[in-house]
Amino acid sequence: MFIPVTLSLLEGMVTTLKLFFLTLLFALPLGLVISFGSMSRFTPLRWLVQTVVWIIRGSPLMIQILIIFYGPGLIFGLPLLPRFTAALVAFAVNYACYFSEIYRGGIQSVPQGQYEAGQVLGMTKTQIFFKITLLQVVKRIVPPMGNEMITLVKDTSLVRVISVYELIWMGETYIKKGLIWPLFYTAVFYLILSGILTILLNQCEKKLDYFK
Amino acid sequence: MKKKLLALALALTMVLALTACGGSSGGSADNPPPADTSGNTEEPDDTSGSDQEAAGSDIAYIQGKGTLIVGMTDYAPMDYKEDGSDEWIGFDADMAKAFGESLGVEVQFLELADWDAKSMELDTKAIDAVWNGMTLTDDVKALMSTSIPYCLNSQVVVVNADVADQYQTAESLGELSFAVENGSAGAEQLDALNISYTAMQNQAAALMEVASGASDAAVIDLLMAGAMIGEGTSYPDLTYTVQLNDEEYGVGFRKGSDLVDAFNTWWNDMYAEGKVLEVAETYGVQEAVKGAMEG
Repeated sequence: MFIPVTLSLLEGMVTTLKLFFLTLLFALPLGLVISFGSMSRFTPLRWLVQTVVWIIRGSPLMIQILIIFYGPGLIFGLPLLPRFTAALVAFAVNYACYFSEIYRGGIQSVPQGQYEAGQVLGMTKTQIFFKITLLQVVKRIVPPMGNEMITLVKDTSLVRVISVYELIWMGETYIKKGLIWPLFYTAVFYLILSGILTILLNQCEKKLDYFK
Repeated sequence: MKKKLLALALALTMVLALTACGGSSGGSADNPPPADTSGNTEEPDDTSGSDQEAAGSDIAYIQGKGTLIVGMTDYAPMDYKEDGSDEWIGFDADMAKAFGESLGVEVQFLELADWDAKSMELDTKAIDAVWNGMTLTDDVKALMSTSIPYCLNSQVVVVNADVADQYQTAESLGELSFAVENGSAGAEQLDALNISYTAMQNQAAALMEVASGASDAAVIDLLMAGAMIGEGTSYPDLTYTVQLNDEEYGVGFRKGSDLVDAFNTWWNDMYAEGKVLEVAETYGVQEAVKGAMEG
């Protein structure tokens, strides 16, 4: 029983991993864009972006998944997104908002003096951002980003509300056959995944140890 | 774009609020005309032309995309998978495949995460039918157009076999702690008896509660009890005692869908040919089907 259960859980794990990596792929850059919006000097834009971040961070991700999947059909009678795509959109937007605040913290933690030094050296704004600020931002945001990523690993289990068959769903199906342990066993998969992430993030931090 | 999300969220809240109170009136406005004319709905109806058109095209819609998506849950003996197999089988699953064949479309099964979401899934066309031992309650009939009753069922109380003889009457149930599927027909029965309970995600989870000792008793479908508890099943130590009601199973389609008539005609033909009972016997539900069709 142990091997067939493991195999079927691995099947769910593939969906979980796909959602995890695709969310990172879209949310990491999108988060940076949103962080620029929330730091914009153009007040209406800043206000708008901050409101959106408040809504997305302040409402349950599960509700957002339901709205993005069922919303278009219920309100406008439009055809729905495929289930996995709807889940991915919800995750990418949600995590981009969390990431944007981490980026903002990182960017604003770089002392003003460094911008001024860059300007004295005749660098353009873009050059200062990419050659001075961003390098240090990346280093400083690794720990909080690691936090979010580990949360993301476990949050992926929410997508089963719209019948995306991920790891916990696969574990739960065994309850109908009278087995409860496969559901508990799914925790091992999450532990392994977050363990690998932790090691990678530690290495990442060491590699970024170039300036103190 | 982000503002649209907010608008969407607010609009959804409003829609939910509206459907909650206006569902039945909307339904009765659409449905009676076809029923009253008692024949074809061909005669021009200038008041609700677009509604009629949308409703009339459900078969065409399904044949156009070539698939009938059936929403269901894992529920032996109606829909389940054999160990190591990926194919859905069961009385409902097999009949659904045959119905799809009669329409010339492929049947896809979609396991619903949340049985409560079934009408939302139908309305948004995420699925085309709810076909999974669905009890025809007033709630269900208000939310969707349903077929003729095709199978009988009842709600039964499940307890551990060694205490079963103490709980043979409805009056004796008051002292037990219950687990039951949220919003199910079983929950309705307990509400009627004024017994409180722990609401579970599905019937299997309710059984798990009893098996683990977390609750004393569960209320589930008789057909499911027949397949899942007792000797030779996953739950050999459980048994069922009191039968709380009698009820009927039906298939649900979108409101006003022409699939309802297509299904009813097809089912009666299949029954007359003996094919329905043939499949029913495979899964041990022939008595319940006979009861609905002849009783």
